[in-house]
Amino acid sequence: MNTWSRGRRARTVLKVTGVSAAALLALTACGGSGGGGSSSGGGDPQEFSFLINAENTTIPDELTTLSKDQCKAENKDLPLKIETVPQTQLDQKLQLLAGQDALPVSFAAGNTPALTETLDKDGQLLDFEKTFTDLGVIDQISPAAISTIKSLYGGKFNVLPYQYNIEGFWYNKKIFADNGLEVPQTYDDLVSDAAALDEAGVQPFSASGEQGWPLTRLISGYLSRELGPDAMQRIKDGDAKLTDPEYVDAAQKIADLGDKGYFGKGLGSIDYDTAINTFLKGDAGILYMGSWVLGSFADESLNKIGSDNIGFFPFPNVEGGAGSSEQLPANVGLPMAFSAKQYNKKVGAWLKCIAENYGQASLEDQNSISGFVPATTPELDPLTKLVQDTVDKTTESTLWFEALFGSKATTVSQTNAAPLVSGDQSPEDFMKKVQDAQGSK
Amino acid sequence: MATAFVSRFARQLPVRLLVLVLLVIVVYPLVWLLLGSFKTQDEFLNGSTWALPQHWQFSNYSDAWTTGNLSTYVRNSVLTVGPALAFIVLFGVAAGFALEVMVWKGRNAVLLTFLLGIMVPGQMILLPLFTSYFQLGLTGTLWPLIITYTAIGLPLTVFMMATYFRAIPREIFEAAVLDGASMLRAFFSIGFPMARNAVFTVALVQFFFLWNDLLIALTFTNTSDLRTIQVGLLNFTGEFGQTEYGPLFAAICINVFGCLALYLFLNQKVMKGLAGGAVKG
Amino acid sequence: MDRVLGDKKTILMLLGPALLVYTLVMLVPVLISLGYTFFEGNAITGFSFVGLDNITRLFHDPDVRHALWFTLKYAVILTTLQVALGYGMAILYVFALKRGSGVVRTLLFFPVVLPTVAVALLFQKFFEIAPQTGPVNAILNSLGFASVDWFGDAGHAFVVLILMDLWRSAGFYAVLLYAGLVDIPEEMLEAARLEGAGTLQLIRHIVVPLSMPVLLSSLVFSINGTLKVFDSVVALTNGGPGSETTPLTLYMFQTSFSYGEYGYGASIALMLTVLCLLFTIFVFRSSRRDVTES
Repeated sequence: MNTWSRGRRARTVLKVTGVSAAALLALTACGGSGGGGSSSGGGDPQEFSFLINAENTTIPDELTTLSKDQCKAENKDLPLKIETVPQTQLDQKLQLLAGQDALPVSFAAGNTPALTETLDKDGQLLDFEKTFTDLGVIDQISPAAISTIKSLYGGKFNVLPYQYNIEGFWYNKKIFADNGLEVPQTYDDLVSDAAALDEAGVQPFSASGEQGWPLTRLISGYLSRELGPDAMQRIKDGDAKLTDPEYVDAAQKIADLGDKGYFGKGLGSIDYDTAINTFLKGDAGILYMGSWVLGSFADESLNKIGSDNIGFFPFPNVEGGAGSSEQLPANVGLPMAFSAKQYNKKVGAWLKCIAENYGQASLEDQNSISGFVPATTPELDPLTKLVQDTVDKTTESTLWFEALFGSKATTVSQTNAAPLVSGDQSPEDFMKKVQDAQGSK
Repeated sequence: MATAFVSRFARQLPVRLLVLVLLVIVVYPLVWLLLGSFKTQDEFLNGSTWALPQHWQFSNYSDAWTTGNLSTYVRNSVLTVGPALAFIVLFGVAAGFALEVMVWKGRNAVLLTFLLGIMVPGQMILLPLFTSYFQLGLTGTLWPLIITYTAIGLPLTVFMMATYFRAIPREIFEAAVLDGASMLRAFFSIGFPMARNAVFTVALVQFFFLWNDLLIALTFTNTSDLRTIQVGLLNFTGEFGQTEYGPLFAAICINVFGCLALYLFLNQKVMKGLAGGAVKG
Repeated sequence: MDRVLGDKKTILMLLGPALLVYTLVMLVPVLISLGYTFFEGNAITGFSFVGLDNITRLFHDPDVRHALWFTLKYAVILTTLQVALGYGMAILYVFALKRGSGVVRTLLFFPVVLPTVAVALLFQKFFEIAPQTGPVNAILNSLGFASVDWFGDAGHAFVVLILMDLWRSAGFYAVLLYAGLVDIPEEMLEAARLEGAGTLQLIRHIVVPLSMPVLLSSLVFSINGTLKVFDSVVALTNGGPGSETTPLTLYMFQTSFSYGEYGYGASIALMLTVLCLLFTIFVFRSSRRDVTES
């Protein structure tokens, strides 16, 4: 899904690393020079090995903090060992490791929900519904988070909600006020606001075409307002095709924004950092992004416009559409799973400690909202509070464009988004390409 | 006299200009890289690409060295590329000798088999090798890298050395054998030393290929303690959350100018080696 | 004498280690991977036999066709350019700079040692359009042309890619070819000059024929490298915009590891290997006389 974490490509050639040395060493060491690796995965890990994409620093930091404090005892029994892998190489690494039954105790379970499902079908993933119930901590997870996870990952609760993100438009209050603009209530309002900004010489939207997903999310946003929150589910179920006129129409709508130059120049080479920076410098009025971006907003050396100058509005209604702006796209970040084969009592103790403490700790330390219920609600900064309130108000979650696609359709969609929006590819061609990739999977 | 000088100068002028242009094209980016390594993040994102750094940010280097763990990565690179290079040279030169100086049936077929190795895309051998190393219990050490590097370096080395030995008259070795030396001795006492310049060139070319390798290093290094410098360089982006250009550039500079120093140090020999006809077809 | 030169034990000792390592680490894995050509699936799901389906699919897959075309275009153009430019530079070293060429050679060789990531970043910055105007667009602007979005469409991205790889490799080929040129006996050139041959004639009738073997080696080396281009594409464009600059290697990598179709990925790799083989044979065929008769 390549979302929040920056740099799907991150100007990095191939990158792989990571994997828990621990799990591998444990497996191979006992077998000596013989066929140690051929064992079926052990189930007696010596370390709490955790393989995560290198771009994510929040979760490792937080777990490290926990290992020194609340989870000290658990860490003594099973020391935390974090290994990182660049996100672009995560899928390859998972395949190689899963093929050897050598997945670590915990790991980021792939760039697409499709891979997570594959791992699950192979019996690699721990079922948290059962595990947390057994551990007596299932009420530590917010039901909204569980339902989001289930809608994304094949109806199962098998990844952890270390983050709970919502998505929408962040806007520069000052620029809006200077140009006499209001928060848009309908999609047409949004378009006319953008036109007004463009007229005034301000770039309306900042988006990373290099990443692609910030653009395709606008398509799915439009679709869920126009056709209802199950618009993308229908594609997966085969009840509709992306090449159907109403779907192509949504792509057309977003391409129109690009056609008018609302995304600025060189869209295809704007990377994640640049997109955020353009907004935080005050060079663009609106940024579509998930709430994980609060971390960047809080960085004062980057944020030149000031946090109190940033507002949020959900993807607006489409007049006469079946969806509503109460329904927000939500996700739990890159999926973090636990290995079913490495699970034992010590891992269970760790999991219990995480469930009981992570929510509180991540709110306090990182101002980041997770799907773990915090024991008490600490004082929040205004933007975090805004997100928390929005989460509380949200009645139903929607899915992002590629959420239910296979890996190939995801890649095709994200790499072709910039050509679509910059007018090098027609909406018909774009949707056909993605549909074909989805069909061939 | 003066006119002769002027006309000579005028004749030389286009050549000199051409060389100057070539040098600027090559050297300027390096200067850019070096300057970049002293810039702050703000200057990177908001300043002009070719502006000088405003406040020289030397801390980029200490950041790169400590946070970036460069010392470990450099050590790993040396520990893998060094032995692999030694194996490549020893095995490759010996094989080249056996294939060209020795006379036996089927040597052309074997040479062709080695040549095939130049054509195979590296991606193809990853999965089977990963499985094998894992089952042999080599995962978690630097051995998978050393072994794979050796194998990957062999085809080109064998091919180049074979063509080198082809140009040397067999009589030289025959004479040694007539003096009572064995062929094996002749190889070590005559063949190998004779090819020293060629060996040096091949080794240098291989060194840069291996030093800059990513594909293999990425697949077979599974802990941060095992990362080579190139992998470490990439991981940089992530370890700082967002791309911290300053420290990243500093790390690249350490790598690049380290290579440059090594290269200049060895340069004399290299050029001689190449000039000695190492790669004559 | 033949007995000594054909001594089995010596041959075994000299050739054995290289052949053993090469066979175990390259040949066998390649054969295993080729075996996967007949299967579908990946390391997680396991493999199932599908016969020749993957091979037939190759011929109907528009992505393969596109990647193949890109690979060929890239390989032919870059190989031509880098060998030609390298050759030109080598001639410059030998005939214009003569003894003083050492420093120049060294400096021009240098880009070879730069990590791909760094070079790609450099070229991205140089050809940048937004948020800042990079040097190239700044020059265009000052000449009165509009800025170009260099990574926005296939044609321009291809140009930048070729320029980048040319920048990286020309110095390397120059040194490689220089080795062939310095061996040309000075007397031959002198004699030709006395007979009134101009510089161009000299190059055409003496220099090129005599440096043919090393030129052909460089071609083989170059074509095998360019057909397998991977790092620079991934670092510079990641195959984009869309999949416009995706070569076979990248498509194979994505298919195998991102899309989880290892068998099909192996088939693409097979195709690439055959391609390399054909090109090499082609170059060698035309060179055989020159090389073996020396």
